Amino acid sequence: MSRNNRFTGNGEDPAEPWLGPLGVGTLVGAVVLYGLYVGGPIIFSAVQTTADPTQPVRYLSGPVVLIPIAGYLAIAILLAVRPPTAKWGAGLLIGLGIFTLLGGGICVGYLAQIRA
Amino acid sequence: MTGLPFAGDPLVHACLLGLGILAALLFYGYEKRRRGLTDPRLWPIAGFAIAFGAIGSRVLTWDVSRQVSLAEWWGNGDRSILAGLVGAWLGVHLGKRLTGYRGSTGDLLAPAVALALVLGRVGCLLTELPGTPTGQAWGISLTPAQAALLGGLPGVGLHPSFAYEIAFHAAAFALMWRYRDRLPRPGDLLICYVSAYALFRFGVEFVRGNEVLWLGMSRPQWFLLVILPLLSWRMQRVFGKPRRPRLEGRVA
Repeated sequence: MSRNNRFTGNGEDPAEPWLGPLGVGTLVGAVVLYGLYVGGPIIFSAVQTTADPTQPVRYLSGPVVLIPIAGYLAIAILLAVRPPTAKWGAGLLIGLGIFTLLGGGICVGYLAQIRA
Repeated sequence: MTGLPFAGDPLVHACLLGLGILAALLFYGYEKRRRGLTDPRLWPIAGFAIAFGAIGSRVLTWDVSRQVSLAEWWGNGDRSILAGLVGAWLGVHLGKRLTGYRGSTGDLLAPAVALALVLGRVGCLLTELPGTPTGQAWGISLTPAQAALLGGLPGVGLHPSFAYEIAFHAAAFALMWRYRDRLPRPGDLLICYVSAYALFRFGVEFVRGNEVLWLGMSRPQWFLLVILPLLSWRMQRVFGKPRRPRLEGRVA
Protein backbone atom coordinates (compact mmCIF):
# COMPACT_ATOMS: atom_id res chain seq x y z
CA MET A 1 0.00 0.00 0.00
CA SER A 2 2.87 2.33 0.62
CA ARG A 3 6.25 3.06 -0.81
CA ASN A 4 7.28 4.90 2.30
CA ASN A 5 7.61 2.77 5.38
CA ARG A 6 8.60 5.51 7.81
CA PHE A 7 5.16 5.29 9.31
CA THR A 8 4.61 1.59 9.33
CA GLY A 9 6.69 0.63 12.37
CA ASN A 10 4.49 -1.92 14.05
CA GLY A 11 1.72 -0.77 11.68
CA GLU A 12 -0.80 -0.57 14.47
CA ASP A 13 -2.99 2.23 15.70
CA PRO A 14 -3.23 1.24 19.35
CA ALA A 15 -6.18 2.16 21.52
CA GLU A 16 -5.57 5.56 23.02
CA PRO A 17 -6.76 7.43 26.07
CA TRP A 18 -9.78 9.61 25.46
CA LEU A 19 -7.69 12.73 24.92
CA GLY A 20 -4.57 11.49 23.18
CA PRO A 21 -2.10 13.54 21.15
CA LEU A 22 -4.78 14.11 18.53
CA GLY A 23 -7.22 15.70 20.96
CA VAL A 24 -4.55 17.63 22.86
CA GLY A 25 -3.04 18.86 19.57
CA THR A 26 -6.45 20.07 18.41
CA LEU A 27 -7.13 21.90 21.66
CA VAL A 28 -3.64 23.39 21.89
CA GLY A 29 -3.74 24.48 18.25
CA ALA A 30 -7.13 26.13 18.48
CA VAL A 31 -6.28 27.82 21.80
CA VAL A 32 -2.92 29.12 20.48
CA LEU A 33 -4.60 30.61 17.42
CA TYR A 34 -7.39 32.16 19.47
CA GLY A 35 -4.78 33.56 21.85
CA LEU A 36 -2.87 35.04 18.96
CA TYR A 37 -5.82 36.61 17.18
CA VAL A 38 -8.16 37.43 20.08
CA GLY A 39 -5.98 37.78 23.17
CA GLY A 40 -3.08 39.34 21.26
CA PRO A 41 -4.89 42.50 20.11
CA ILE A 42 -6.36 43.03 23.61
CA ILE A 43 -2.97 42.84 25.30
CA PHE A 44 -1.18 44.72 22.53
CA SER A 45 -3.67 47.58 22.50
CA ALA A 46 -3.53 47.89 26.30
CA VAL A 47 0.27 48.08 26.22
CA GLN A 48 0.35 50.48 23.28
CA THR A 49 -2.35 52.75 24.66
CA THR A 50 -0.46 53.01 27.93
CA ALA A 51 2.78 53.87 26.12
CA ASP A 52 1.36 56.36 23.61
CA PRO A 53 -2.41 56.93 23.54
CA THR A 54 -2.22 59.10 20.39
CA GLN A 55 -0.94 56.30 18.15
CA PRO A 56 -3.49 54.03 16.44
CA VAL A 57 -3.26 50.40 17.48
CA ARG A 58 -1.62 48.21 14.85
CA TYR A 59 -1.49 44.52 15.61
CA LEU A 60 -1.40 41.85 12.94
CA SER A 61 -2.86 44.26 10.43
CA GLY A 62 -2.50 44.04 6.66
CA PRO A 63 -0.69 41.13 5.02
CA VAL A 64 1.13 40.41 8.31
CA VAL A 65 -2.10 38.80 9.53
CA LEU A 66 -1.35 35.74 7.40
CA ILE A 67 2.22 35.18 8.59
CA PRO A 68 1.36 33.47 11.92
CA ILE A 69 -1.14 31.21 10.11
CA ALA A 70 1.49 30.26 7.52
CA GLY A 71 4.09 29.59 10.22
CA TYR A 72 1.64 27.53 12.26
CA LEU A 73 0.64 25.56 9.15
CA ALA A 74 4.28 24.83 8.30
CA ILE A 75 4.99 23.55 11.83
CA ALA A 76 1.81 21.44 11.84
CA ILE A 77 2.70 19.88 8.49
CA LEU A 78 6.24 19.12 9.63
CA LEU A 79 4.89 17.39 12.73
CA ALA A 80 2.19 15.54 10.78
CA VAL A 81 4.58 13.97 8.28
CA ARG A 82 7.05 12.73 10.94
CA PRO A 83 5.88 9.39 12.34
CA PRO A 84 6.64 10.06 16.03
CA THR A 85 4.72 13.33 16.00
CA ALA A 86 2.11 12.51 13.35
CA LYS A 87 -0.88 12.66 15.67
CA TRP A 88 0.25 15.91 17.25
CA GLY A 89 0.58 17.35 13.77
CA ALA A 90 -2.83 15.97 12.81
CA GLY A 91 -4.31 17.60 15.92
CA LEU A 92 -2.69 20.94 15.11
CA LEU A 93 -4.04 20.76 11.56
CA ILE A 94 -7.54 20.03 12.85
CA GLY A 95 -7.15 22.92 15.32
CA LEU A 96 -6.24 25.24 12.46
CA GLY A 97 -9.28 24.07 10.52
CA ILE A 98 -11.58 24.63 13.48
CA PHE A 99 -10.13 28.09 14.13
CA THR A 100 -10.37 29.07 10.47
CA LEU A 101 -13.94 27.85 10.10
CA LEU A 102 -15.35 28.90 13.45
CA GLY A 103 -13.00 31.58 14.71
CA GLY A 104 -14.71 34.65 13.35
CA GLY A 105 -18.18 33.39 14.13
CA ILE A 106 -17.45 32.63 17.75
CA CYS A 107 -15.62 35.93 18.33
CA VAL A 108 -18.23 38.10 16.61
CA GLY A 109 -21.08 36.25 18.29
CA TYR A 110 -19.46 36.56 21.69
CA LEU A 111 -18.73 40.27 21.26
CA ALA A 112 -22.27 40.90 19.99
CA GLN A 113 -23.73 39.20 23.05
CA ILE A 114 -21.49 41.20 25.38
CA ARG A 115 -22.55 44.49 23.78
CA ALA A 116 -26.26 43.57 23.62
CA MET B 1 -44.77 30.01 6.85
CA THR B 2 -42.10 29.83 9.52
CA GLY B 3 -39.66 32.44 10.74
CA LEU B 4 -35.88 32.53 11.02
CA PRO B 5 -35.04 32.03 14.71
CA PHE B 6 -31.38 33.11 14.79
CA ALA B 7 -31.01 35.46 11.81
CA GLY B 8 -27.40 36.56 11.40
CA ASP B 9 -26.25 34.97 14.67
CA PRO B 10 -22.66 33.86 14.01
CA LEU B 11 -22.38 32.05 17.33
CA VAL B 12 -25.23 29.67 16.49
CA HIS B 13 -23.76 29.12 13.03
CA ALA B 14 -20.29 28.44 14.44
CA CYS B 15 -21.59 26.06 17.12
CA LEU B 16 -23.44 23.93 14.60
CA LEU B 17 -20.49 23.94 12.24
CA GLY B 18 -18.28 22.85 15.14
CA LEU B 19 -20.71 20.04 15.96
CA GLY B 20 -20.58 19.01 12.32
CA ILE B 21 -16.77 18.81 12.38
CA LEU B 22 -16.85 16.84 15.63
CA ALA B 23 -19.44 14.39 14.26
CA ALA B 24 -17.38 13.95 11.10
CA LEU B 25 -14.21 13.22 13.08
CA LEU B 26 -16.02 10.73 15.32
CA PHE B 27 -17.52 8.98 12.33
CA TYR B 28 -14.14 8.93 10.56
CA GLY B 29 -12.57 7.26 13.61
CA TYR B 30 -15.44 4.79 13.89
CA GLU B 31 -15.35 3.89 10.21
CA LYS B 32 -11.57 3.56 10.23
CA ARG B 33 -11.84 1.10 13.09
CA ARG B 34 -14.75 -0.79 11.50
CA ARG B 35 -12.76 -1.27 8.31
CA GLY B 36 -9.76 -2.43 10.31
CA LEU B 37 -7.58 0.39 8.96
CA THR B 38 -4.75 0.88 11.41
CA ASP B 39 -2.34 2.93 9.33
CA PRO B 40 -1.23 5.86 11.53
CA ARG B 41 -1.09 8.17 8.49
CA LEU B 42 -4.88 8.26 8.24
CA TRP B 43 -5.27 10.83 11.04
CA PRO B 44 -2.74 13.26 9.55
CA ILE B 45 -4.58 12.91 6.23
CA ALA B 46 -7.85 13.81 7.98
CA GLY B 47 -6.04 16.80 9.48
CA PHE B 48 -4.86 17.90 6.05
CA ALA B 49 -8.44 17.58 4.77
CA ILE B 50 -9.88 19.78 7.53
CA ALA B 51 -7.12 22.40 7.54
CA PHE B 52 -6.97 22.81 3.78
CA GLY B 53 -10.74 22.57 3.48
CA ALA B 54 -11.04 25.48 5.89
CA ILE B 55 -8.31 27.49 4.16
CA GLY B 56 -9.77 26.68 0.75
CA SER B 57 -13.24 27.81 1.81
CA ARG B 58 -11.77 31.27 2.39
CA VAL B 59 -8.91 31.64 -0.06
CA LEU B 60 -10.39 29.96 -3.13
CA THR B 61 -13.32 32.37 -3.17
CA TRP B 62 -10.97 35.37 -3.31
CA ASP B 63 -12.41 37.73 -5.90
CA VAL B 64 -9.55 39.78 -7.32
CA SER B 65 -11.97 41.94 -9.32
CA ARG B 66 -13.25 43.48 -6.07
CA GLN B 67 -9.77 44.88 -5.44
CA VAL B 68 -9.60 43.49 -1.94
CA SER B 69 -6.31 42.20 -0.56
CA LEU B 70 -6.03 38.55 0.42
CA ALA B 71 -5.54 39.56 4.05
CA GLU B 72 -8.80 41.52 4.04
CA TRP B 73 -10.56 38.72 2.19
CA TRP B 74 -9.28 36.25 4.78
CA GLY B 75 -11.00 38.24 7.51
CA ASN B 76 -14.15 39.46 5.83
CA GLY B 77 -14.53 37.72 2.46
CA ASP B 78 -17.06 35.14 1.31
CA ARG B 79 -16.92 31.51 2.38
CA SER B 80 -17.97 28.62 0.22
CA ILE B 81 -18.57 24.94 0.83
CA LEU B 82 -17.65 24.13 -2.76
CA ALA B 83 -14.32 25.93 -2.34
CA GLY B 84 -13.88 24.10 0.97
CA LEU B 85 -14.41 20.74 -0.72
CA VAL B 86 -11.83 21.62 -3.38
CA GLY B 87 -9.41 22.70 -0.64
CA ALA B 88 -10.02 19.47 1.30
CA TRP B 89 -9.41 17.43 -1.85
CA LEU B 90 -6.13 19.26 -2.46
CA GLY B 91 -5.23 18.82 1.22
CA VAL B 92 -5.83 15.06 1.13
CA HIS B 93 -3.61 14.74 -1.95
CA LEU B 94 -0.90 16.84 -0.33
CA GLY B 95 -1.16 14.79 2.86
CA LYS B 96 -0.92 11.53 0.95
CA ARG B 97 2.02 12.81 -1.03
CA LEU B 98 3.93 13.98 2.05
CA THR B 99 3.22 10.89 4.15
CA GLY B 100 3.64 8.43 1.28
CA TYR B 101 0.18 6.92 1.75
CA ARG B 102 -1.05 5.29 -1.47
CA GLY B 103 -4.41 3.83 -0.50
CA SER B 104 -7.78 5.43 -1.23
CA THR B 105 -9.37 7.46 1.56
CA GLY B 106 -12.51 8.53 -0.29
CA ASP B 107 -14.73 5.85 1.20
CA LEU B 108 -13.73 6.91 4.69
CA LEU B 109 -14.15 10.61 4.06
CA ALA B 110 -17.38 10.75 2.02
CA PRO B 111 -19.91 9.79 4.75
CA ALA B 112 -18.04 11.94 7.27
CA VAL B 113 -18.30 14.96 4.96
CA ALA B 114 -22.03 14.34 4.45
CA LEU B 115 -22.55 14.19 8.20
CA ALA B 116 -20.62 17.42 8.73
CA LEU B 117 -22.68 19.14 6.04
CA VAL B 118 -25.99 18.00 7.54
CA LEU B 119 -25.15 19.73 10.83
CA GLY B 120 -23.31 22.66 9.25
CA ARG B 121 -26.26 23.42 6.99
CA VAL B 122 -28.60 23.42 10.00
CA GLY B 123 -26.48 26.36 11.17
CA CYS B 124 -27.00 28.04 7.79
CA LEU B 125 -30.75 27.29 7.87
CA LEU B 126 -31.17 28.96 11.24
CA THR B 127 -29.07 32.05 10.53
CA GLU B 128 -28.69 32.88 6.83
CA LEU B 129 -30.84 34.26 4.01
CA PRO B 130 -32.85 31.16 3.06
CA GLY B 131 -33.49 31.55 -0.67
CA THR B 132 -35.63 33.07 -3.40
CA PRO B 133 -39.38 33.74 -2.97
CA THR B 134 -41.76 30.82 -3.12
CA GLY B 135 -45.54 30.59 -2.94
CA GLN B 136 -45.38 27.32 -1.05
CA ALA B 137 -46.53 26.92 2.53
CA TRP B 138 -43.09 25.78 3.72
CA GLY B 139 -41.46 29.10 2.86
CA ILE B 140 -39.49 31.00 5.50
CA SER B 141 -40.65 34.52 6.21
CA LEU B 142 -38.32 37.27 7.44
CA THR B 143 -39.26 40.17 9.69
CA PRO B 144 -38.34 43.65 8.37
CA ALA B 145 -35.34 43.77 10.73
CA GLN B 146 -34.11 40.34 9.60
CA ALA B 147 -34.65 41.27 5.95
CA ALA B 148 -32.59 44.43 6.41
CA LEU B 149 -29.85 42.44 8.14
CA LEU B 150 -29.68 39.63 5.58
CA GLY B 151 -30.63 41.54 2.44
CA GLY B 152 -33.88 39.69 1.73
CA LEU B 153 -37.57 40.47 1.27
CA PRO B 154 -39.69 40.87 4.43
CA GLY B 155 -43.01 39.09 4.87
CA VAL B 156 -42.61 36.87 1.81
CA GLY B 157 -42.19 33.09 1.89
CA LEU B 158 -38.63 32.20 0.85
CA HIS B 159 -37.36 28.82 -0.29
CA PRO B 160 -35.67 27.02 2.65
CA SER B 161 -32.83 26.07 0.32
CA PHE B 162 -30.62 24.94 3.21
CA ALA B 163 -33.35 22.52 4.33
CA TYR B 164 -33.32 21.01 0.85
CA GLU B 165 -29.58 20.62 1.17
CA ILE B 166 -29.87 19.06 4.64
CA ALA B 167 -32.33 16.53 3.23
CA PHE B 168 -29.92 15.76 0.39
CA HIS B 169 -26.91 15.19 2.64
CA ALA B 170 -28.96 13.16 5.15
CA ALA B 171 -30.23 10.93 2.34
CA ALA B 172 -26.71 10.67 0.89
CA PHE B 173 -25.36 9.68 4.30
CA ALA B 174 -28.05 7.00 4.70
CA LEU B 175 -27.35 5.62 1.23
CA MET B 176 -23.61 5.63 1.79
CA TRP B 177 -24.14 3.89 5.12
CA ARG B 178 -26.14 1.18 3.36
CA TYR B 179 -23.99 0.70 0.28
CA ARG B 180 -20.55 1.58 1.63
CA ASP B 181 -19.20 -1.93 1.18
CA ARG B 182 -20.87 -2.72 -2.13
CA LEU B 183 -19.16 -0.51 -4.69
CA PRO B 184 -16.55 -2.19 -6.84
CA ARG B 185 -13.49 -0.05 -6.24
CA PRO B 186 -12.07 1.92 -3.32
CA GLY B 187 -12.89 5.60 -3.63
CA ASP B 188 -16.06 5.08 -5.67
CA LEU B 189 -18.24 6.19 -2.77
CA LEU B 190 -16.67 9.65 -2.75
CA ILE B 191 -16.98 10.00 -6.52
CA CYS B 192 -20.69 9.09 -6.39
CA TYR B 193 -21.36 11.43 -3.48
CA VAL B 194 -19.48 14.41 -4.92
CA SER B 195 -21.05 13.93 -8.35
CA ALA B 196 -24.54 13.70 -6.89
CA TYR B 197 -23.92 16.77 -4.75
CA ALA B 198 -22.59 18.73 -7.70
CA LEU B 199 -25.75 17.97 -9.70
CA PHE B 200 -28.02 18.70 -6.76
CA ARG B 201 -26.22 21.91 -5.88
CA PHE B 202 -26.42 23.12 -9.47
CA GLY B 203 -30.20 22.75 -9.26
CA VAL B 204 -30.67 24.16 -5.77
CA GLU B 205 -28.67 27.27 -6.72
CA PHE B 206 -31.70 28.39 -8.75
CA VAL B 207 -33.61 28.89 -5.49
CA ARG B 208 -30.63 29.82 -3.25
CA GLY B 209 -30.66 33.50 -4.03
CA ASN B 210 -26.93 33.87 -4.62
CA GLU B 211 -25.74 36.73 -6.79
CA VAL B 212 -26.23 36.03 -10.50
CA LEU B 213 -22.92 36.19 -12.33
CA TRP B 214 -23.86 35.64 -15.98
CA LEU B 215 -26.71 34.17 -18.05
CA GLY B 216 -28.93 33.79 -15.02
CA MET B 217 -26.45 31.57 -13.21
CA SER B 218 -24.51 32.12 -10.01
CA ARG B 219 -20.78 31.76 -9.44
CA PRO B 220 -21.16 28.25 -7.91
CA GLN B 221 -23.18 27.15 -10.94
CA TRP B 222 -20.46 28.28 -13.36
CA PHE B 223 -17.87 26.50 -11.24
CA LEU B 224 -20.02 23.35 -11.27
CA LEU B 225 -20.48 23.57 -15.04
CA VAL B 226 -16.71 23.26 -15.36
CA ILE B 227 -16.44 20.43 -12.82
CA LEU B 228 -19.47 18.34 -13.88
CA PRO B 229 -17.94 16.93 -17.10
CA LEU B 230 -14.94 15.70 -15.13
CA LEU B 231 -17.21 14.15 -12.51
CA SER B 232 -19.38 12.47 -15.16
CA TRP B 233 -16.22 10.97 -16.68
CA ARG B 234 -15.29 9.59 -13.26
CA MET B 235 -18.83 8.27 -12.78
CA GLN B 236 -18.55 6.38 -16.06
CA ARG B 237 -15.54 4.63 -14.60
CA VAL B 238 -17.59 3.65 -11.55
CA PHE B 239 -20.63 2.28 -13.32
CA GLY B 240 -19.36 1.69 -16.87
CA LYS B 241 -18.14 -1.61 -18.21
CA PRO B 242 -14.44 -2.39 -17.94
CA ARG B 243 -12.57 -1.17 -21.02
CA ARG B 244 -10.62 -4.34 -21.60
CA PRO B 245 -12.26 -7.76 -21.88
CA ARG B 246 -11.31 -10.23 -19.21
CA LEU B 247 -8.51 -12.51 -20.24
CA GLU B 248 -9.18 -15.38 -17.87
CA GLY B 249 -9.33 -18.72 -19.57
CA ARG B 250 -7.79 -17.53 -22.83
CA VAL B 251 -4.80 -19.13 -24.43
CA ALA B 252 -1.95 -16.76 -25.16
